[in-house]
Amino acid sequence: MRLLALIAVILTGGLIIFQTGAFPDFGDANAPANTYLSTYYLEHGQADTHAPNIVTSVLADYRGYDTMFETTVVFAAGLACFFLLRRKKVPGGEPRIYRHMPTGITLRIADGGKLPAEDSEVFRRLDTEFVPQQLIIKNTCRIVIPFIQIFALYVIAHGHYSPGGGFQGGVLLAASIILYAISHDLRRAIRRFSEKTAALMGSLGVLIYAGTGALCLLMGANFLNYKALAPLLGVDAVMARSHGILIVEIGVAFAVMAMIIWIYYNLSSAGKHDEGL
Amino acid sequence: MTIVCILLITAGIFFFFAGAVGVIRFPDFYSRLHPAGMIDSMGLLLSMSGLALYVLSHGGLTGANILTAIKIILIVIFVYITSPTATHAIVDAGIRAGLAPWTKKIKEKSDDDPH
Repeated sequence: MRLLALIAVILTGGLIIFQTGAFPDFGDANAPANTYLSTYYLEHGQADTHAPNIVTSVLADYRGYDTMFETTVVFAAGLACFFLLRRKKVPGGEPRIYRHMPTGITLRIADGGKLPAEDSEVFRRLDTEFVPQQLIIKNTCRIVIPFIQIFALYVIAHGHYSPGGGFQGGVLLAASIILYAISHDLRRAIRRFSEKTAALMGSLGVLIYAGTGALCLLMGANFLNYKALAPLLGVDAVMARSHGILIVEIGVAFAVMAMIIWIYYNLSSAGKHDEGL
Repeated sequence: MTIVCILLITAGIFFFFAGAVGVIRFPDFYSRLHPAGMIDSMGLLLSMSGLALYVLSHGGLTGANILTAIKIILIVIFVYITSPTATHAIVDAGIRAGLAPWTKKIKEKSDDDPH
């Protein structure tokens, strides 16, 4: 089996390397990509889509079909991590550590001992690798996280005008939740942003993207041709393309954010969603 | 005004350079964090204030330029909040991992950084 796989890999790799010679040179002025496509985007990008940031207009409008599948790849990566790593929580088996909040005393409860309630205010569960009180880190993260999230929304909404967009904004949103998980603990982060929410939001993001495309089809244009949305949004065709980019970027941001957080949950706790970084 | 900007930015770059040299030259983990965390903050403050002054003095005191200057100052504020916390967290992790600080005495059974 391994030998077969090796042969397949070598054949595919060899074919790719063999065919690289047929590509145009890097930066070749006569390459097909440079003779008509790039110039068209540069000359008509802003007039067509009302987006000064040409990267965004190419990514989400002219090449929107590609980007839809990029989003799907991110979604598939999240699902793959889930299927590979997620394990059912086995009750008991390992000692647990609790901190008695009023006194600051740490308790180690062996397997089979009586555990405090899950939502107890008096006892807070710690990871087995003992963590001291980290007031500075927790409070700094508490100050910084809202700013990260506002900046992420800015990056998503401002993707037309400045560098940014759905992928970057989604990563920033995910980073804020991951920072919360690192500075407090994984269980609290999961209580705020559960696995179910992650799965739903990821699917919703891809659905928003594909749904926008399908809506264009329903309105009588090509898939992902946002011009067709003009009567629905109540604006002219150019602004409709601009708004279409924004809608799609929001979908991308949902999918990327949810999937990165989900992958983090699974990787950091080895699929147990119990103790982790 | 341009000269002031140049002086500020040069001083900032000097601090960055000193920080980079310090990260390489200091003997162990904890002392290396010192230039990485503190000198960089100083360099950032100087160079960013130089940039903010440059924007204001060359573009004029219009709304857009003031906004740009405020954004530049915000970078400094956020780095001043987060950078010491990050250094603190890293030092904490080092202590908890059991890494002893460097001393000049050379113990025979020392498994510290061999510098």
